[in-house]
Amino acid sequence: MKSNRLPEYELLNRDVFVGIGLLALAVLALAQLGLFDLERLVRGAGNLIVFFRETLPPDQDVLPIALIALAETLVMAFAGSLLGFFLAVPLGLLGARTLAPAPLVYVVRLLLGAIRTVPSLLWAVMFVVVVGLGALAGTLALAVYTLGYLAKLYAEYFEGVDPEVLEAVRGVGARRWHIARFVVWPETANAVLSQLLFVLEYSIRASTILGFVGAGGIGFYLNVYVNTLAYPRVATILLLILGLVLIMDVVSSRVRQRYLLTVP
Amino acid sequence: MTRQLATCLAEGIWFAYQPGRWILKDIHLRIPPDGFLTILGPSGSGKTTLVKILAGLLKPQKGTVELLGRSMSNGQSADPEFRRQVGYIPQQLGLVRGMSVLENVLMGALGRIAGPLPLCGWFPKSEIAQAREYLAFLGIEHKAREPVFCLSGGERQRVAIARTLLQNPKIVFADEFVSDLDLPRAAQVLTAMCELSKRERIPFIINLHEIPLVQELSSEVIVLKNGNIVHHGEARQITKTLVQQVLA
Repeated sequence: MKSNRLPEYELLNRDVFVGIGLLALAVLALAQLGLFDLERLVRGAGNLIVFFRETLPPDQDVLPIALIALAETLVMAFAGSLLGFFLAVPLGLLGARTLAPAPLVYVVRLLLGAIRTVPSLLWAVMFVVVVGLGALAGTLALAVYTLGYLAKLYAEYFEGVDPEVLEAVRGVGARRWHIARFVVWPETANAVLSQLLFVLEYSIRASTILGFVGAGGIGFYLNVYVNTLAYPRVATILLLILGLVLIMDVVSSRVRQRYLLTVP
Repeated sequence: MTRQLATCLAEGIWFAYQPGRWILKDIHLRIPPDGFLTILGPSGSGKTTLVKILAGLLKPQKGTVELLGRSMSNGQSADPEFRRQVGYIPQQLGLVRGMSVLENVLMGALGRIAGPLPLCGWFPKSEIAQAREYLAFLGIEHKAREPVFCLSGGERQRVAIARTLLQNPKIVFADEFVSDLDLPRAAQVLTAMCELSKRERIPFIINLHEIPLVQELSSEVIVLKNGNIVHHGEARQITKTLVQQVLA
């Protein structure tokens, strides 16, 4: 005969409760910031409609100059990301506990932490002071930001290489540079390149803002038009940025599918 | 060409991963200059730890290990020049999955190739020819250009053997590296190793579970139980009953 009693359960994993706790904290914070103030939201929605009415249609007269600035933004993003990438790979190797001596790892990690503490916009301000207004300051700011972000991630990836593979190749008498080239690189190349693509996408978005502080690119014009309340021109620039970001998404997705082989 | 006398001597080895919990207890072992020594024992008996200590990859808390005439207690085991004389095949083989079979085998030559050219992808033709010869001997030369992750388990094992042989070692340690294979395929791989051991006069020390293979291929066998050597003798004398008796 079937028993109607429910089977007894035992709680083995508390992840769901941690998630619910975090969600409750987020709701509390948002309430504190006024997100659930309905009157304020309704008034804001009205302002939004006025804003859109004044912004549309976009002003096409600004297109030639905006396209040139957009190209400059693209160049800044590529140059900055690639420069940062080429510096991040060796620093990532020096920051991996399994590959470099402990004191060196400590110094490199401290340096990377310091770099990451400063946001890219502040780096742009610093480089404007150092090299003057223009795209070079933006490019250097993106390079430093990319370096701080990628080198930290790469150090983690490099540390995650299967220790048995490291042991086996060390066992043949291979040197550190052999280990880096023949074990660490092939084992992590997919993740490393995947993050480079992510940073390229980020840099394009970030470089649109760097112009606000005079670091070149389309952000300079965006800042000028926002400050002069030329909203139709702002709309044109935002649409161009949106187009560029979408194109980058597609290109990056194709590159991932075509070149980043999945190793089981 | 004569090889330097290859041997390994362990005296009074004690080892623990956590204080007081000894994995190996007072191990004394002398590995002969040639032949095929098998280490038998149930899971957790300390086989892998013993192989790693004998190969100079782990330092015991007590006791001494002498490998190829050098003491392993003064840091010489980390010297690349010395390491390349000691072949070691780990349980999971330690192959680089994203590289081809040939590139993986050529890793074995890294210890003796000077200069930056290998870092850019150039290897000496003589080393490539030698790598291909070992792959041909092991029956997988036709897979030389394939990525290693496309191979079957048995083929990967052969790649690991070829890499170790290209190292030109004076002694080879292997840690249960055929445990994932069915018996006929494990026999095939081990027979190839045994032939190489005889042809190249390299002593092999290997962890194994399969008693029929031990009887057929090994020259000497030790049985480990709870970190102690409970039997040491000729492999042809070993039987399932004897193993059960000494492990009981």
